[in-house]
Parts: sequence; C-alpha cells; structure tokens
Amino acid sequence: MITQMHVKGLMFDPYNNAYIVVLRDEEHADMLPIWVGKPEAGAISMSLENVTPPRPMTHDFMKSLLDAYNAKVISVVITDLSEHTYFAKVHLMYEDSEYTVDARPSDAIALALRSNAPVFANSSVIAKQSSDELDQWLENLKPEDFGKLDS
Amino acid sequence: MSTIDVPNAQDLVEYRVDRILEEANTDTRIVVLARQDGVLDTFPIWVGAAEGHAIKLALDTMITPRPMSHDLIKSFAEHLDITIQRVIITDVKSSTYYATVHVANKGVERTIDARPSDAISLALRAPCPIYITRLPFFCARGTQGR
Repeated sequence: MITQMHVKGLMFDPYNNAYIVVLRDEEHADMLPIWVGKPEAGAISMSLENVTPPRPMTHDFMKSLLDAYNAKVISVVITDLSEHTYFAKVHLMYEDSEYTVDARPSDAIALALRSNAPVFANSSVIAKQSSDELDQWLENLKPEDFGKLDS
Repeated sequence: MSTIDVPNAQDLVEYRVDRILEEANTDTRIVVLARQDGVLDTFPIWVGAAEGHAIKLALDTMITPRPMSHDLIKSFAEHLDITIQRVIITDVKSSTYYATVHVANKGVERTIDARPSDAISLALRAPCPIYITRLPFFCARGTQGR
C-alpha cells in the first residue's frame, strides 16, 4: 500500500551535518524524514521556494530532457529504507508506455516538485521509521524552523 | 524552449576532462579540460564543490551504492532510448559558462541548455565527446579569470 506524502519542509540536522526533508501525509498521521546531502537539499529547497536560478540546475536540466521528448513524470514512490539508505522509483509516461526508474529519494523529490507530480511512500517505509525520539523532536518544531537554507 | 545557436562542426574543438583541482579555502573546484587532438591547450572551468564531486566520481569511474543525479539522467535516457550525442561548451558571459547537450531519439534531435558542469558530468557517464566552440570568447578567455 502506498500513501501520498507532501513535502512539508527542510531542516538542518546539526548532529549529522545533513539536511532532513520532512514528508507528511494528508491526515498528518504519518511523517517520514529523509536525510539528504547539502546539494540535494538545495535542489529541493529551490523548488519549495519557487526560486528560478539564472542557469538551469541539475534537476531543471533533468526535467528539460524529459520535456524535450514529452516524457511525463507521473509519480514518485519512496519504496524502501535499509541501513539509512532510501530507495525510490520514478514513474514516467512516454509514448503511451510507463517506465519505472530507480532513483534516490532526493532526486525523485526534486524532480517531482518541478513536475508537479505526486510523491508517495510505501507503508512499509513509514512503518520502519519508528524513532519516537525523532517524532517528538519533529512534533515540537515550529514553522520558523523550516525552509532555512542559508548556510 | 528558447532557440539555441548551434555552432558549425568546423567551429568545434574536442576536449576531454584532464583533471579536477581544488581551490584552497573556497567552495569551488576547477575542471581542467585538455584538447583531445594533441595540440597543447587547456581550458579551465570553475564549478561548485558538489558539481566538481559529481564530475570526479565519473572521472574516477567510481560506483556509488545509489545512483547519483547524473546517473539518473543517464538512466532516463536509456529507458526512453535517448542517445546523448555530444555536449558543447558554447559561451562564457560575465563569469557564467553556457553549454548545450545534444540528444537524439529515433532521429529526432534536441538541444538542451545546461550548465557546463552538468553537461560534463553527463558526457563522462554517457560517454560522449565534449566540444568547445571556437568562437570569439576563446580569444578573450585569457583575461576571463572565471
């Protein structure tokens, strides 16, 4: 089973010197944090904040390539989590055929945001993510904590 | 998509990625392209640390546990039967470099605007040749630090 998730924001995780993309389902019942590197966080942040860079960034180029041949991103699915590595699939529609491409969630999300495609997560991934401490930390976050990527 | 000037073949000179240099105390890397035909000439391009890393991974043919962004682009191309034919560094204007990626699918050719760092990253993975246009900016580049 898959659940549609929304990208709620990005946070800096000083303990791991990494960024966390926070996904949340529509009912706000489930939350899925995904740790990503700085460049990946930058790619997601630009989309969230509707920043148009002077030159196409990597995921803008990625979308240009798909656009050039009218290939459409239908959806992306966060499929698995093992040893802190997340797996995702990008579902493409091209000439009436569907293609499924293996990707890192950070690339998949950066592309989904640029393509207005929905992001889903497998329920097994959401279930695996079961750190109460982390949940508590995330619950206590204020809106101001999100979306700052100025380092 | 905006129109992109495609240079004539005789205006193109093939280069390869020679090495990547770290610039001390900065977050930038220098990608040094060397002329492929034996003529001694190098062409430096300043890129960000992340972009430099993406190029270095491909240059060293490092296999990462998960596909990196340019691996994903290559994977898209493979799935959709798009051939990455060549990349061309076309211009540099006020410290900004421009490149185009030339692709084809069932005879339909497309030219896609890109940053040179993405173009080079992809060229190394495709693999496909990297060209630089023999245009006036060439002559001026001695004074064009970055």
